[in-house]
Amino acid sequence: MSFYSTQKLTLGFGASEPLLSDVTFELKSSHHLLICGATGSGKTTLMMALAGIIPKIMPNKNYAGQIALAGTPLSSLSSDALFSQIGFVAQTVEDQLWDLSVEDIIAFPLENRGVERSEIRVRVRDLMERLKLTELAGRRVLTLSGGERRMVVLAAALAPEPKILVLDEPTTGLDPAARQRLCTALAHAANTVDVVIVAEQDPIHLASITEHLAIISNGTLSQLQPLHTALNDTALWNDAGLLAPHRPARHSALQATGQELLTISKLRTKLTRASGCPVLDELDLTLCGGEVLGVIGRNGAGKTTLMRSILGLSAISSGNIALEGEAAEKWTTARRARSIAYVPQNMRQILFHMTLEEEVDFALAMGNNTESRDTILARYQLDHMGSLNPFALSARQQGQLGLACADASGAIIAIIDEPLLARDLEGRALLETFLNRMTQTGRAVMLVSHDLELVDDVSTRLAIVDDGHIPFDGTCREGWKSAAFGALNWPAPYKAVEEATS
Amino acid sequence: MTRLHDLNFFIKLAFAFGLMTVAWFAPNWQLGVSFAILCLLGLWVTKVPKLKSYMKGAGLLTLMVIASWMVNLLLQGTSVIEALTISAKMASRLVATTALFYFVMETSSPGAILAACSAARLPAIVTLVLSLTFGIIPMLRDEFERIADAQRARGMEIDNVSIVKKLRFALARGVPLLVQAIRTAHAISFSLTLYGFDLSRKRTTWRDVGLLVEPRMSWKDKTQ
Repeated sequence: MSFYSTQKLTLGFGASEPLLSDVTFELKSSHHLLICGATGSGKTTLMMALAGIIPKIMPNKNYAGQIALAGTPLSSLSSDALFSQIGFVAQTVEDQLWDLSVEDIIAFPLENRGVERSEIRVRVRDLMERLKLTELAGRRVLTLSGGERRMVVLAAALAPEPKILVLDEPTTGLDPAARQRLCTALAHAANTVDVVIVAEQDPIHLASITEHLAIISNGTLSQLQPLHTALNDTALWNDAGLLAPHRPARHSALQATGQELLTISKLRTKLTRASGCPVLDELDLTLCGGEVLGVIGRNGAGKTTLMRSILGLSAISSGNIALEGEAAEKWTTARRARSIAYVPQNMRQILFHMTLEEEVDFALAMGNNTESRDTILARYQLDHMGSLNPFALSARQQGQLGLACADASGAIIAIIDEPLLARDLEGRALLETFLNRMTQTGRAVMLVSHDLELVDDVSTRLAIVDDGHIPFDGTCREGWKSAAFGALNWPAPYKAVEEATS
Repeated sequence: MTRLHDLNFFIKLAFAFGLMTVAWFAPNWQLGVSFAILCLLGLWVTKVPKLKSYMKGAGLLTLMVIASWMVNLLLQGTSVIEALTISAKMASRLVATTALFYFVMETSSPGAILAACSAARLPAIVTLVLSLTFGIIPMLRDEFERIADAQRARGMEIDNVSIVKKLRFALARGVPLLVQAIRTAHAISFSLTLYGFDLSRKRTTWRDVGLLVEPRMSWKDKTQ
């Protein structure tokens, strides 16, 4: 008998065609299901329905069909009964967080249900130790990195010991070590959790803890199939608009580099660590025209501070920053922005105009690009959307707008922080369009990411940040074999694929 | 002195109300101003975060209060000296009040307020209202600063410009701030439902709550 089932589930937002239809599957107790699909295929909507959030918390115009847990329709359960049995981690974890501390967030579901203090403390301690969150004790969650927030929300989902765990792209923003901790935690949770359903764009990271696969394509969910055999089926992934897990490694061709655009020497920040040491100390780095510099490092290594220091958002106590040979450490952030375009992970943070056209016009006002606004919008597939409010766009479309604005600004350097849009074929193509435009015109890109396969695919050079320094700076091929990378104890890109399918 | 930050929210609140009463009943401007200065010194001694920003705001408030009272009293025929003393007395009351509640707001996280309310076995609705009222203001202020950084990073020169331009750019932050406020409200309401918050059920807390509220879980002492 199935433990969890969906029957002819239909979801949509009132358009003529539903987003997803006829979603039917059954899971037995102890089954772990991986659902893959391209951006915009309906993954998040489906995951919300599977968690009961649609329609219990959020209405859905085309909702039809039934989901049952141990034979009981979810619709017949009260909110409290439902969400004490189903743990959920949203793709945008910020939707589940507010200004509480790490311990508060993890304990919140238990406190609300009146669990005794001693019991709450035992569970919170256990989860924080297991997920290696003890160093974050007392921190307010909104001050954490995206990856750290995700681990905290996962701990909160596990705290009430749910029967079902529904995770929407849980590896987003996690470094490889954190992904490993996530897998370990999910394997451990199997003692109490009966069913785990995970949505991801890249199947590799969670291949070790899921045995069934279903793919969203053409408005429906495929039949369940064994994951490990599907990993080798390149056509299956490409047809669904996804990067095939078994794609060959694709080292970016070395290009002749142009003039030095950015020179950082002996950089030391005012911002210090708990130990009193500067977050960045005596750091040297250069960036030349035509380069795509991949920057990697564990959470807290100093990557964000490096970006902020270059942008002028984080004060430095000594050292030099030069742009095209001109000393820039005294320049205001706004003046630096004429040379450096910034594309953050969360674009909402840097949008402040009422329409896409105004956003691109503002970038064009930097005066370094003579193209028309419409040409730029069309290049990033945002034509016919110019009059829309940027906040009405999906996260993916906001990422496209970020690239469009960076392109429009004509800046000589672009800093891209964790481009999540590059996780499927279409998004990857858009990112590559941007990178090509930058490098072919003698400009440069600094790409900060935990996605080692992406870094390996598109970077011409690799820098590893660790403990405020750059212990490795060279080609990717050398980088994956370097002592600095070895010290991270992460699997090299594409090695994870080999391990998952061996 | 930062241990004072961990005082139980209700003790801080009672303390602030008590001292505010003293400020408002100060018999003359000299005592009122002295008391306001003491309150400001108290903020400095207790290392309240973001004091510089508060001082800017308090300075602006003082000027506005003094100016408006002066105009009002002078129009009514009061002498300049007398108008100045009354204005100073009124301004000192407001400065003392805002300083005291700035201390409460800035040193009480929503989590610490939730814990204090839960330990006092207050109804869930009171718990929620108090933690949101005191918790959301610092959160939105931080968001306002983050958006300003984003504007700078996009090339808006918002620092070395005239006050009129500064105000215009500050207004431009309104749109993302409003969006963020709506998102925050959505996140709070979503997480309350998802995590089983029920108005008819009294909450418990993981924190040790007494005169002080435990700020974080310690791994030095493994006992519960």
